[in-house]
Amino acid sequence: MAANLTAGAIAKMLSGEVTDEKAMTPILQVTEIKMIQQARRNQEVSFERYKIALSDGIQSQEGMLSANSNVLVKQGSIQIGSVIKLTRFSCSPVRDRRIVIVNEQEIIAEKWNIIGNPIPLLTPNAQINSVVTNSPQAQAQAVHRQAFGTGFHQQQDIRSELNGVANSSQAQVVQRQAFGAGAGAGSGTGFNQQQATRSVANSSQAQLVQRQPFVSATSPSARPYVSSNAGYESSRQEQTYYTRPPVQPQQPSMYVNRSPVARNQAAAPMTIPVAALNPYQSRWTIKVRVTSKGELKRYSKTNGEGKLFSFDLLDADGGEIRVTCFNEVVDKFFDVVVVGNVYLISKGSVKPAKREYNHLPNDYEIQLETWSAVEQCYEDDVAIPRNLFRFRYISDIENMESNSVVDLVGIVSSISPSGLIMRKNGSEAQKKALQLKDMSGRSVEVTMWGNFCNVEGQRLQSLCDSGTFPVLAVKAGRISEFNGKQVSTIGSSQLYVEPDFPEARVVREWYEREGRNAPCISISRVFSGAGRQEIRKVITQIKDENLGTSEKPDWITVSATISFMKVDNFCYTACPIMNGDRQCSKKVINNGDGTWRCERCDQSVGECDYRYILQLQLQDHTGVTWATAFQEAGEEIMGMPAKELYYLKYEDQDEEKFEDIIRKAAFTKYIFKLKVKEETYGDENRVKATVVKAEKVDYSSDTRSLVEAIHKLSTEDANSLTVNPESSNYRSGALNSGVGTSSVNMQGRGFGLPAANQFSSDSRPRGGMVLCGACGSNGHVFANCPSFMSEPQGEHYVSTQGRNAGRGMPRQHVGSY
Amino acid sequence: MDTSSPAAFVNGDLLRRYIGQKVRAVVQVIRSDIGSVVGKTTDDQQIVVKGSPPPSLTTYLEVIGIAESDNTIRADVWTNFGDNFDAGNYNELCKLANGEFRHMFI
Repeated sequence: MAANLTAGAIAKMLSGEVTDEKAMTPILQVTEIKMIQQARRNQEVSFERYKIALSDGIQSQEGMLSANSNVLVKQGSIQIGSVIKLTRFSCSPVRDRRIVIVNEQEIIAEKWNIIGNPIPLLTPNAQINSVVTNSPQAQAQAVHRQAFGTGFHQQQDIRSELNGVANSSQAQVVQRQAFGAGAGAGSGTGFNQQQATRSVANSSQAQLVQRQPFVSATSPSARPYVSSNAGYESSRQEQTYYTRPPVQPQQPSMYVNRSPVARNQAAAPMTIPVAALNPYQSRWTIKVRVTSKGELKRYSKTNGEGKLFSFDLLDADGGEIRVTCFNEVVDKFFDVVVVGNVYLISKGSVKPAKREYNHLPNDYEIQLETWSAVEQCYEDDVAIPRNLFRFRYISDIENMESNSVVDLVGIVSSISPSGLIMRKNGSEAQKKALQLKDMSGRSVEVTMWGNFCNVEGQRLQSLCDSGTFPVLAVKAGRISEFNGKQVSTIGSSQLYVEPDFPEARVVREWYEREGRNAPCISISRVFSGAGRQEIRKVITQIKDENLGTSEKPDWITVSATISFMKVDNFCYTACPIMNGDRQCSKKVINNGDGTWRCERCDQSVGECDYRYILQLQLQDHTGVTWATAFQEAGEEIMGMPAKELYYLKYEDQDEEKFEDIIRKAAFTKYIFKLKVKEETYGDENRVKATVVKAEKVDYSSDTRSLVEAIHKLSTEDANSLTVNPESSNYRSGALNSGVGTSSVNMQGRGFGLPAANQFSSDSRPRGGMVLCGACGSNGHVFANCPSFMSEPQGEHYVSTQGRNAGRGMPRQHVGSY
Repeated sequence: MDTSSPAAFVNGDLLRRYIGQKVRAVVQVIRSDIGSVVGKTTDDQQIVVKGSPPPSLTTYLEVIGIAESDNTIRADVWTNFGDNFDAGNYNELCKLANGEFRHMFI
């Protein structure tokens, strides 16, 4: 008959989850029996009671048999190795440990081989100062290794080393339980291996698991936690360390009577895993590492002001929880808590987590009070990982909800300089945006705020500027929905530049191999309203990349020179009426009597405003494009308000001066921020560019972006031998002055000239080929056909299919129409 | 001045490659005496520029002349470049002009 012990039962009983038979009736094995004399008060006669150790194959727990069962022990029905089912029992905490009082049991097997490798608990070698618990720990560890091998990543293995300060087997049990999975797997599997390794550990040094009163100060060092990865060795060491001869006070080992004073001094005799924290357990201690520390924040409410700070904790089992301190507690602990250090924390209150601020995967959070204790463990515990990441692929982000928190790792493909954003409440915030791409073939915009810009942001910027593409790991970035999905940093976020995690290495290798040139779809549509992302483009890219053809307009920055300006209609008569804080600006119609009528406002005004509507031809080294500049940009370019210019021309009739001004404005180089959007005129689609801003060229930053481009170019050349024809700049035929980048392929150019009228104005690309309706060439659409590019927008171009029948793109005529 | 050969863009590191040849460099003026100026190159090295500096010097100064040693230039042409100058960009220029894109410059 196979006796299957209820694995995990001990853990539940120790943690308090199971307190009596109503919860479960576990099958356990008796691994030790000890008779004790229990003296009743006021009586001289002492009673015999049997103290037992019960094991579920993984852990052991102390228990007491009922006096009625004494006879069973005496007759041998219950002996070491017996497997019993607890049909009536209770688990209660006695002092700091949990004892199982077995009131009734069912004997499944009287004699059975010891299952698992339970550590002797009840040996009389009670050592006052030894805090050895390794055996149970070690055993548990080993089991852990066995049982939970699947599906957990590496950290688990390390974590299996218990930072078990606990001297009682109870502690570990709880920790083990934290994993939950494979509870059944524990029993019976692979214990042979354990046996072998454990044999040393389970040497005859049966040390009593005993709680000792020790002063907190010394406890860290005295504690034999298995801190190194070579867990077994260390535990062995510690075993040997505590070879004290059994010289103990003659007390029943389990019931060490500790005075309240001593207890208070004792620092956390047993630590429980963070996952086991709950508001109903009052006395607990956790051993944790601080993974992040928030800034000191002040707040004011109706009943006064206050301050707070929070920090996040991680324990050896991967449990995370946030701790918050308020007001005077802040003073107590703010300097004590240092990120990366390991602490023992106890006597805090466990409360439900505030989801608004707390994104950790724990239903609870801790609030420390003035009586809470936070002491540092000076001996670092390698069992507790430095960080716990739950990395996700960027492609997953698309399906995740906004405001959820995620960890990412990827390559920074581009980063833009820090900018200042004005917040709604008037305060300024520093912001820096970058594009992160990873192996899922997606990229996302990651925004960092505040101090991140200065520290990590600058570092990333310089790395990117110098041509390397660093690996960046983001912990706790918040997903937001703003032009697709974006990730931004929050108070508890952390950024790691070129980190040393295995995942980072994997990403780096992927990038070197293929990621560099892999197409990457951005899930954040990179245009922005406020907080503009500066995307530098050259003019031909407008056509080549079909900017503006998607739903939303594309905002780009080009460095270009004004090569021509249409002077006929440089401004229009505009409505000056204010709608709220914006001027109406709609074109007003001359009533004939000196007043001007606005349709939108439904009013007439005596004096109209003049606003620029400059049609400019912008040219850079790659190509030419037309753009319209409105009032603000117009003023910047012309250097004077539209009204003045208007008067100059029409009222004063000062042609000379007018021409002078125009000439001065032309051929000046600016940094233009363009809004590119495809618009439909009738049945024709035109890509229109509007100048949103015209700025004088800042040579310094311009040069820097050029340097960056050069570096990128040289590294790309080094890496890619084949040039992707689709992605490379397809130089529009008209401007043969194309830059000689590595894309020298002009394929598709000699497309021959299918009869132009085969393709009507339908500019939709067919099957991936972008055919121009007019000239039949590949690479652009009718609206963008270079042969038409000299036309200012607004002028509907009637078909001139025959125009380019002769093949080849004519050089653009500037200003010809 | 002999304008037959083009002057190579140098910073502190690159100067030694052109000893005896014509170079140009932008330095940040640290000290100026009669007959010489001590300047910091765009890669933070100190060099001495000998010759006759102009009477008033701005923070940044371009000098064109012959490299005498790996930290001295005998300059013929001195040009004030003002107080605002992006040394980083210039440094990048020097590196590129002497490295990958040499063929474009000399």
